[in-house]
Amino acid sequence: MPGELADEGQRRAMLAEIDSSCRAPVLFFVISGLAWLLIGTLLALVTSIKLHSPGFLSAWDFLTFGRVRPAHLNAVIYGFASQTGIAVTIWLMCRLCRVPLISGGLVILAAIFWNLGLTIGLIGILAGDSTAIEWLELPGYSTPILFFSYALVAVWSIITFRLRRESHLYVSQWYLLGAILWFPWLYATAQIMLILEPVRGTVQAAINWWFAHNVLGLWFTPIGLAAIYYFIPKVIGRPIHSYYLSVLGFWSLALFYNWNGLHHLIGGPMPAWMITVSVVASVMMLIPVITVAINHHFTMVGHFGKLRYSPTLRFVVVGALCYTATSLQGVANSLRSYSEIVHFTHHTIAHAHLGLYGFFTMVMFGSLYYIIPRISGREWPSLGLISIHFWGCFLGLVLYVVPLSYGGILQGLAMNDATIPFMKVVEGTLPWLKLRTVAGLLMALGHVAFVGNLVWLLARVFGPYRKPVVAILSGTETPAIAGK
Amino acid sequence: MSPIGILLLFGAMAVPVVALACLRWAAKNGQLQNGDRGALLPFDFEEPLDTATDQILNRKSAKS
Repeated sequence: MPGELADEGQRRAMLAEIDSSCRAPVLFFVISGLAWLLIGTLLALVTSIKLHSPGFLSAWDFLTFGRVRPAHLNAVIYGFASQTGIAVTIWLMCRLCRVPLISGGLVILAAIFWNLGLTIGLIGILAGDSTAIEWLELPGYSTPILFFSYALVAVWSIITFRLRRESHLYVSQWYLLGAILWFPWLYATAQIMLILEPVRGTVQAAINWWFAHNVLGLWFTPIGLAAIYYFIPKVIGRPIHSYYLSVLGFWSLALFYNWNGLHHLIGGPMPAWMITVSVVASVMMLIPVITVAINHHFTMVGHFGKLRYSPTLRFVVVGALCYTATSLQGVANSLRSYSEIVHFTHHTIAHAHLGLYGFFTMVMFGSLYYIIPRISGREWPSLGLISIHFWGCFLGLVLYVVPLSYGGILQGLAMNDATIPFMKVVEGTLPWLKLRTVAGLLMALGHVAFVGNLVWLLARVFGPYRKPVVAILSGTETPAIAGK
Repeated sequence: MSPIGILLLFGAMAVPVVALACLRWAAKNGQLQNGDRGALLPFDFEEPLDTATDQILNRKSAKS
């Protein structure tokens, strides 16, 4: 490979240059992503409280359930999850390609446009301009800005990949490149077929669920798995159990996931063969899920003790476990007999949060605990805040997913019983919904602790104590990263 | 068929074609062989194999 670095000194210098080149763009995406996380969390709490106390904040139009709920969804999906995902992608791509970040200004421009588009879109949703299409609620006038911004990131990623100094690809790069290429295809197709030139009738539902399911599986999942495959070996200092199995996992995900979305329409007015194909593909997802689970577990064997000391490992391992759990739950949900019970219940909400929060968000938190000290040259200032962050999010997640999954099954069984009045079924869900609000408060506590720790760290980098950091940045002093 | 329909059809056909092209490229360039080399790529001189990193919750070593 042209440009491969020969000696150790060059490699050390390159690593420092990679981290310092990533600093501004990655921090920009991370800080704006976390700002959206706080906004999304607040909107989530309002939404959750309204489910058991409908009169809460109901005097204002823009705070009604129909507006706050999609605003929460889009704030966390496109504001927090996508932006932190892009930040982690940028750093991993540079590290694994062994090249410093080029055209950092282009990436920052992309981040500015992304946040601009999203802000306009969320104001639109709260003002009543939602498209009412799940996962695509952002009004049509905001999405071209997001798409332009994404195009900049995608072009940058491909250029970085082309300029790589390491010829052999790590499995994380396969996943990242897959995500980078899949997302524009999904987003553009859904936008064209549902917003620009809408197709008719039930085909809209098919496109909607094809998109919504694939955003999870072909955008967030590959980024999350790429991070897991990088950070578990990196923290424990041991290579992945089976590299071949990891590559098999990637290609089987690429082959089967795209067909999964229509299992959400079981019982709907769709051709039976379409649903059946989707159910079969959903069951075939056992192949990538089991390969990933085996690989992660056997990589960790003998190293579970390190969970005590590494925040990255804690978050990433919990995320990996949640990936397996939510995927197996997803396979079960796709079966007609099971779907008859849990469809239209809170079980589905628990499943979605186990995937996007338990898996993706936890992995992103873990990744940031590793990346930010390296790009800022400062270690996390408060170990107590790290613990509050972890336990708040973890306990919140458990308290969210377990009661809602169980309550959802009870709700489904009751709804299928014609002798039980519908209002009785609704009343039966109230205890689970109240627990959901408590869970949300615990998660919110964790998020505030994390953001507080980050602000503290950044204050040390850019605040009154910045002098030593300037020395680090100028290369006259080596950053002290604990654990190395 | 409308131009947008043709574009979407082209896009839908392009995805598996690109995937197959990537798989062929990977096979030709040895990406699917030499798994040992691939597995070691996350490690470098700063953070080598057999060295645990990010142990910041270990207060003793953090203090020292």
